[in-house]
Amino acid sequence: MLTKKMVDLIEANALQLSKDIKRKLLTHSSTRSYQDIDEKTLHDWIYDVCSRYSYWLDEDKEKGEVQQHYKDLGKERFRQNFELPEVISALYLTKRRLWEFIAISREVDSALNLNQIIELSFLLVRFFDHAVLHVTEGYEEMLSEYGYEAPLSNSERLAESIAAKTKRQEEILEEPKLPTFSFTKGMIRLSYYRQG
Amino acid sequence: MLVRLTEMIENNAADMAEDLKQKLLQDPATLSYQTLDEHTLYENIFELYSRLGHWLLRDTEKGELRSYYSNIGRQRFEDGFPLHQVIQALVATKKHIWDTVLEKGIMTTAKELDSAVDFITYLNRFFDMAIYHTTLGYCKAQNLRTAI
Repeated sequence: MLTKKMVDLIEANALQLSKDIKRKLLTHSSTRSYQDIDEKTLHDWIYDVCSRYSYWLDEDKEKGEVQQHYKDLGKERFRQNFELPEVISALYLTKRRLWEFIAISREVDSALNLNQIIELSFLLVRFFDHAVLHVTEGYEEMLSEYGYEAPLSNSERLAESIAAKTKRQEEILEEPKLPTFSFTKGMIRLSYYRQG
Repeated sequence: MLVRLTEMIENNAADMAEDLKQKLLQDPATLSYQTLDEHTLYENIFELYSRLGHWLLRDTEKGELRSYYSNIGRQRFEDGFPLHQVIQALVATKKHIWDTVLEKGIMTTAKELDSAVDFITYLNRFFDMAIYHTTLGYCKAQNLRTAI
């Protein structure tokens, strides 16, 4: 486990990192609704991610759990009246702080080589990509319960739209229609007919 | 070195755009993209790849990014796409760029690896903002629709 040392470092600094991230969420213009959350609750939310970082990053075997956790989070934030862009921004601000922590560590700890940093960045990015995706899915599931569902979520509508596009493209690919010329009182009139 | 990596993507923009287009059209996680005009889809991807240096390094205030991706979000809402599929496509685009860098970029020396770390930082910052502003554009259009 090349990255274990770094993950351990994040967990060991979880308290300070959580404080930094909380401060960021409370002051950033893209996460205004978080200002209405009780500070201790907010701290606990963030600390949960930072302190169980190795658990969350534990490759694919726990991905189903991460998926469910973040889907549920999306649903919960919907019920709490958060706007989805705010929730996504909060996740990205968390990721950014963790990435800063990792990137700075490369300068202060020569034992942590660049390959390890790159490897860890993969894990970090993959984790937050999944988090954002599943939060959005959960949020959209709640929206559909309240009557809005994206039209192309419906398999019949999707099939119709794909068929319509295919038809449009076939028409474009058909042989060009060539014009014929005729004269009417000194004017050239163009008319089109289909070949074949 | 950072510029070399972005130029490498720009120089391969046409092939890469075609490759990603096919991936999006075949991926079950991005089914809605099968309803888009294929040439438009290609052009959208090519626009990003062929000017990656501009998007990552020169659009420093990210003003162009905000307006471009906000419009993409609004457009995809009007097209009827589920938002998570739009986000999935952006994540796939980021992965496609990084996979190409790993495949074609020569990163063996400490200096090259150091630049790769910087590249990751710029690439992620860009896509974080792209996904955020796409979501914002999508949700604004959605709120407008439900308010009418």
